[in-house]
Amino acid sequence: MKSAIFLLAAAAFAQTLDPAKLKQPPTDSWPSFNGDYSGRRFSPLTKINDSNVSSLSLAWVHRISVPSSGGPFTGTIKSSPVVVDGVMFFTIPDHVWAVDARTGRELWHFAWPSRGGIHIGNRGVAVQGKWLFFETPDCNLVSLSMKDGKERWHKQICDPDQLYYASAAPLIVGNHVIVGVSGDDLDVPGYIQSHDPETGERQWRWYTHPEPGTPEAKTWPSVEAMMHGGGMTWGSTTYDPDLNLIYFGTGNPQPVVAHKGRLGDNLFTECIIALNPDTGKMKWYFQSSPHDTHDWDANQTPVLIDGTINGQPRKLLAQAARNGYFFVLDRATGKNVVTSTFARANWAKGVDAKGQPIPDPLKYPQNDGALVSPNQAGAANWPPPSFSPATGLFYINASNAYSVWYIYDDTDKPEGWGGNDRGGYSAAMLQAIDYKTGKLKWSHKWEGPGGPRNGVLSTAGNVVFAADPLNNFVALNATTGQPLWRANLGSAISNGPISYQLDDIQYVIVGAGDTLFGFAMNPKK
Amino acid sequence: MPLTFKGLFITILFAASLAAQGPRPAPPKPAARPLPDGPGKEITHRVCGATCHGPEIITGRGRTREDWSNVVNGMVARGAKASAAEFSEIVEYLGKNLPPRAGVAGAGGVGFIGSGPDDAHLVDSVAADRGKIIYDAECMSCHGAAARGTANGADLVRSLVVLKDRYGATIGGFLKMKKHPTTTGKPSASFDGAQVIDLAHFLHLKVTDTLRSGPYNQPVKVLTGNAKAGQEFFNGAGGCNKCHSPTGDLAGVGGKYEPVALQQKFLFPRTFALGRGARNVAPPKPVTLAVTPAGGQTVSGTLVHLDDFNVSLRDGNGDYHTWTRTASLKVVKSDPYAAHIELLDKYTDTNMHDITAYLETLK
Repeated sequence: MKSAIFLLAAAAFAQTLDPAKLKQPPTDSWPSFNGDYSGRRFSPLTKINDSNVSSLSLAWVHRISVPSSGGPFTGTIKSSPVVVDGVMFFTIPDHVWAVDARTGRELWHFAWPSRGGIHIGNRGVAVQGKWLFFETPDCNLVSLSMKDGKERWHKQICDPDQLYYASAAPLIVGNHVIVGVSGDDLDVPGYIQSHDPETGERQWRWYTHPEPGTPEAKTWPSVEAMMHGGGMTWGSTTYDPDLNLIYFGTGNPQPVVAHKGRLGDNLFTECIIALNPDTGKMKWYFQSSPHDTHDWDANQTPVLIDGTINGQPRKLLAQAARNGYFFVLDRATGKNVVTSTFARANWAKGVDAKGQPIPDPLKYPQNDGALVSPNQAGAANWPPPSFSPATGLFYINASNAYSVWYIYDDTDKPEGWGGNDRGGYSAAMLQAIDYKTGKLKWSHKWEGPGGPRNGVLSTAGNVVFAADPLNNFVALNATTGQPLWRANLGSAISNGPISYQLDDIQYVIVGAGDTLFGFAMNPKK
Repeated sequence: MPLTFKGLFITILFAASLAAQGPRPAPPKPAARPLPDGPGKEITHRVCGATCHGPEIITGRGRTREDWSNVVNGMVARGAKASAAEFSEIVEYLGKNLPPRAGVAGAGGVGFIGSGPDDAHLVDSVAADRGKIIYDAECMSCHGAAARGTANGADLVRSLVVLKDRYGATIGGFLKMKKHPTTTGKPSASFDGAQVIDLAHFLHLKVTDTLRSGPYNQPVKVLTGNAKAGQEFFNGAGGCNKCHSPTGDLAGVGGKYEPVALQQKFLFPRTFALGRGARNVAPPKPVTLAVTPAGGQTVSGTLVHLDDFNVSLRDGNGDYHTWTRTASLKVVKSDPYAAHIELLDKYTDTNMHDITAYLETLK
C-alpha cells in the first residue's frame, strides 16, 4: 500500500519543477543554467570530495546525433544541462534533448526548423512546472512539454532581418520567462524582455539604452547614435528573491571597434544591470567597461555572494569581466566594494571614484594598431565562473592575452565593426580570487595554447571542476589549487559542469564537443 | 518602459517582425553549404568548429588564399587553437576549396556571414554595379556615397525598408507609395522593375560592406613609426640583437613580409601569416622538452603533449617518448620565443610602430 501511494505521487509529479528548488542550492536536481538563482554554481554535495575524487569514474556517455541540415559545426554542447526528477534537458542551437540523468539514455529529441541566424551556441533551457523554454538562432522563444518534447507555443523575440539572433538560456522568476538577445553585426539596440510562461505573451521589454533627455543619454553624442548603440543581453541572469531584483550584463556598444561616432561612456552598454522582474524597471547600473572599443561584452555572470566585508554581513555581487577586471558590488545599491584585475589588462588608465576602469585612449584601436591586453576572446568570456561559500573563493578560467587592434574603416561614418584585432598570444589559468580583496589566493597555470572556453563548478567537497586547453576535465583542491584527477575527453570541454545526487550517487556532468560525459562516485559495495 | 519616444521606436522597429505569431510557414531551403571535400577539411572542422561558429561563416564568402590567411590570423585573437602546421593546412584548404565566387559580392544571410535569415537577399555584383549608376544619379546627394546617410537623407544601411527588402519587393513598394524625392526630380514611382531590383542589389551591397565580411577588413596604414628609433630599441632596450641580426637571420625580412604581417610576426612569432605575394614561409620553431626520470637519462626533443598529468615528446630520431608526470620526473620546457612573450609586457605602442618601421627597411 505504501509503495502504491509512493508510485502515485511519483507519477503525479514526474518531471515537474517545484519553484522553491530554484531558491535552494542544487542537490537532487540542477533546475536552471546556474543550478540556483545565485549564479554561484556551487554544489553542496560531498559524496565527491578532495579525498576520493581520484576514484571518480565514468558512468555514461551520450553523443548527440544531428541531421546534416544542422550543419557540421553546430553540434557543440555549450549548454548547461538542467536536471529535474531524474531527467536531464540540454541543447545545441535548434535542438533540445531529454535524457535519463542516471544513464544518459535518450527519452526524446526536439528539432526546431530553423529560418537562419547565427548558430554560435545555445546556453540551455529554463524550466517551470511541466514546461521548458529555450531560444533559437532565428529569434524564437519556444516552450515544450518536459514529458515528451511536444511544442506548446513559440514567440518571436527579435528580428533576424536586423541580424539579431538568440542564444541565451532563459531565466524563470515567478510568472516571468526572462529572455536576452544577441547580435552585433549591425548597429541595433539591445534589450531584455519578459514573457508570460503560460501564453508566451510579452510582459515588458527593457532597452539597454537610456531614455532620450535623461542624464545618462548624455553619454552618447546623439539620439541616433544611442538608438543604434548595441548592448546585447546574451549572458546568464541571476536573481535575489529578497530584493526582487534580477542581475545581468550588457554587451558591447555599436559600432564595435570604429568608435568615433559614439564618443562618451555609452550607457547602458557594458554594464551590470539590476532590474525589477515584475516591472522591467531599472534599479541601478554599474559600468564594467565605459566606452568599450574591444568587443568586451560585460555579459559574464553577476554572481550573488552573501558575504562579510570588514566584519559586516553584506549582500554582494561579483563579476569577473571579459576586460580583465574583477568587480564586487553591493547588490542592493550597485555601489562598488572591490575593483581589481584577475588577468593582464593594459587598457585602462586607472579606476574612477565609482570603481569603474577609465579607458586609456591610446589603447583604443588605431589605424596602425594598438597592442592591447586582453584580446578579443577576453580574460574571461561566457563560460560560467563559480563561487564557493566554503572557501570564500571565486573561481574563473582566465587568459592572459594580447592582440593588436586596428581601425579598418576610417571613413566619416563607420558602422558595424569598422575594425578588428589580429594575431596574438594567450596563456590560460584557473584563478581563485578572494572576493573580499579581489586578490588572487592561488592561480593554477594550464599548459597548452590559448584560453580555455569552459566553465567551473565548485563543491562542498572542497573540489573545483574545471578544464585545461588540452581536452582535460580536471578536479582540483578548492583550497590549494592542486590538481587531483583528470579525464582527457578527446575534444575541448565546451560547457560548464554541473552536479546532482540520485540514489546516493553523486554525478558530475560535462560536455566536450558533441558528447555529454556523466561521471559518478559509486557507493562502496 | 512607458510608451514614449522609446515606445514609438519599438513600434516602428518591431511591428513588422512581431506581427505574425500564428502557425509557421514551412522554412525555406537550407542555405548552409557543407564544407567541400579535400585535404584539410577535417582539421578545419575541428579547429574552426570546436569553439565558436558554424560552417556558414566559412562557406559563404569565398576569399583568396592571402585573405584566408588574414582571417585565420584574426581567429587566433578570438581563441582558435592549433599548431602552426595545422593553421597552414587550414589556410591551404580554404584557399583552394573556397576561392572568391564570381558574380557574388557577399550578402546577409546564411551562406555569407552566418547572421540574418536564410532567405536574405543575396547580392549579384553585376546588378549592384548597374544599381550604383541609378543610386549615384538619383539618391547619393542625400543618402551619401556609402548610403549611411547625410544631414539631408536617412541612413539606408540602418533602414528597415532596406533590411526587410528582398530583391526590391520592399524598396520598390516604398518608392511607389512615397513619392520620394530624387536628385533629378524623376518621380520615384517611375523606376521600372529591373531598375528597382538593381537598386536593391546596390543597397544590400552597402549593408554587406558594413558587415565584418565586407571590404573594411584590412588595417589602413601600419607604417607610421620611426625606423631609427626602432633600430635603437632593437639594439638597446628591446634586446632583440641578442638573438637576431639585420644582416643575418633578418636580412631581407622587410621584403619577405607585408608590413602588417611583419608587425604580427615579431610580436607573436607563432601567429599565422603568409609572406609577400602569399608565399609560404618557414613554420615557427617548436617548443622543446628535456625530461629526466628519477635516476635515469635525460631525453630531449620536440614537445608533443604537456599537461598537469602527462608529458610526451619526439626525439631527434623521430622516436616518441611518453611519461606520467610525477614529483620525481623532471621536465624542463624551452620556448625559443620566450623573449618575445616577455616583451609583450614591455613594449609601448610607439616601440611597436618603430620596430615595424625598422624591420620594413631590411629589404
